[in-house]
Amino acid sequence: MNDLSVHFEGVSKIYPHFALDDLSLELPTGTIMGLIGANGAGKSTTIRILMGLVHQNQGRVHVLGREMPREQAAAKLDIGFVSEDTRLYGSATLAWHMKFIRSIYPQWDQPYAEKLLRRFDLKPQQKIKGLSHGQRVKAALLLALARRPRLLVLDEPTTGLDPVARQEVLGELMAVLADEDRTILFSSHNTLDVEQISDQITFIDRGRIIASDNKEIFLDRWRRLRLVLSPEADLPSLPGVVEVGGSGRLPVLVTNRFDPAMVSACNDAGATVQAVDPMTLEEIFVANVHSRREKQTV
Amino acid sequence: MNYAMVRRLIWKDWYLQRWAILGSLVGVVATLGIIATGAKVAFLIGLILLIMVIISIGAQMAVATIVTERKEQTLPFVMSLPISYREYTASKIWGNLIIFLVPWVTMVLGSFGLLLLSPSSRGLLPYTAIMSTEILLSTCLILAVALITESQGWTVVAIMVGNLAVNGIGYVVAHIPGIAKEMWGSTIQWSGAASALLLAEFAIVVLLLGVTFLVQSKKKDFL
Repeated sequence: MNDLSVHFEGVSKIYPHFALDDLSLELPTGTIMGLIGANGAGKSTTIRILMGLVHQNQGRVHVLGREMPREQAAAKLDIGFVSEDTRLYGSATLAWHMKFIRSIYPQWDQPYAEKLLRRFDLKPQQKIKGLSHGQRVKAALLLALARRPRLLVLDEPTTGLDPVARQEVLGELMAVLADEDRTILFSSHNTLDVEQISDQITFIDRGRIIASDNKEIFLDRWRRLRLVLSPEADLPSLPGVVEVGGSGRLPVLVTNRFDPAMVSACNDAGATVQAVDPMTLEEIFVANVHSRREKQTV
Repeated sequence: MNYAMVRRLIWKDWYLQRWAILGSLVGVVATLGIIATGAKVAFLIGLILLIMVIISIGAQMAVATIVTERKEQTLPFVMSLPISYREYTASKIWGNLIIFLVPWVTMVLGSFGLLLLSPSSRGLLPYTAIMSTEILLSTCLILAVALITESQGWTVVAIMVGNLAVNGIGYVVAHIPGIAKEMWGSTIQWSGAASALLLAEFAIVVLLLGVTFLVQSKKKDFL
């Protein structure tokens, strides 16, 4: 449980109009990390570097103990990869794809593949070009899961899926978690999906990791405080305030270091705490991004 | 190099392109049949159709197995398999070459057979060999451009250049004194010029594919 499935150390990748900057990331074996970022934040570049498909300009990357990109072929034997832009061969059937993948991966689990066929309601003899988008994603996921990978890398797999297909995909991912040696890296801009299945969250913005922690820690520490200031009171100084909104006597603070003792501290400073609202992962992400971008601007 | 994986990728392309390969084989045999009728008009039509079929299959394979793989986003699926880009490149070069060689060898053997069966045309054999190899060279050029650029536009340019080269080189070679002199005779005469040209063509094929493999091996980004 303590070893790392993915280890990025000071990784940089420079493109003419985008740079992944000094990225360091650790993904312990058996955990599910949700990589959250806006479109163009660097999620796909990070995943492509992880898969050895893009070579970093600087830094070291180890995946399942293999140095990337040098040992990518050996590493990919234990990786299941599905990305939003992955397409299967339209003129071939799902059965052909399954046979092809089975010929490559000795650990292919045929009974599990057949179980997934039923669960996803897929017909093996159907050609890929005749499948809907949701069915194609499920087919790609089946091919990735049935090879029983030690590391599952999913780049925006739920994008464009209808709610039923999305729940089926997420449900199967949660079932995979039963095996605690399996590690998942799940990138998405949909925080709801990530919140459902991840236990580790990493926020990425403009090519930099801006926060990375346990999901529960994020949800416990981030709070929105609605205050009412008495006429003579100033805004109390609280730890970890990243955003101040609201109006003059009715400020709304967002803190990333909430502690119940803050409520009494506010009262002592002449500010009544009207409400302490928990925040969703999406709100935490947006507040985090705004706060970092403002700091960069200053 | 994981040769087992390279073999599997080649078989994948063979399977996916099986109808095009079969179609080209039927085309080559049919056009050779037209040529074999012996009539002058049939010979000319058959020859044009034969060259067209061979050039088309080479271009079609490069576009379908390389450019379309990127365009239709099946490349991320292939590259998620336990292969390096060197192995991917090797599979594409060997796969395309082997696929092309099936109709090409049929064409070469069929043409040689027809020439040998017709005593008055035997002198054309060196010219036929040179031009057949030129078509192989053009196909390798298309393959190299498709692999290195992965661009539909540049591949189309390479197809056009390859087509023009067949016509241009065909005209030039037919006017090289060492070749032209014996071309319409009834005996096979391998002049120094003909041998040198044939060797040069094969050398360029090897060089072209070698450089392609080298350039691809140095690529840093694949998606």
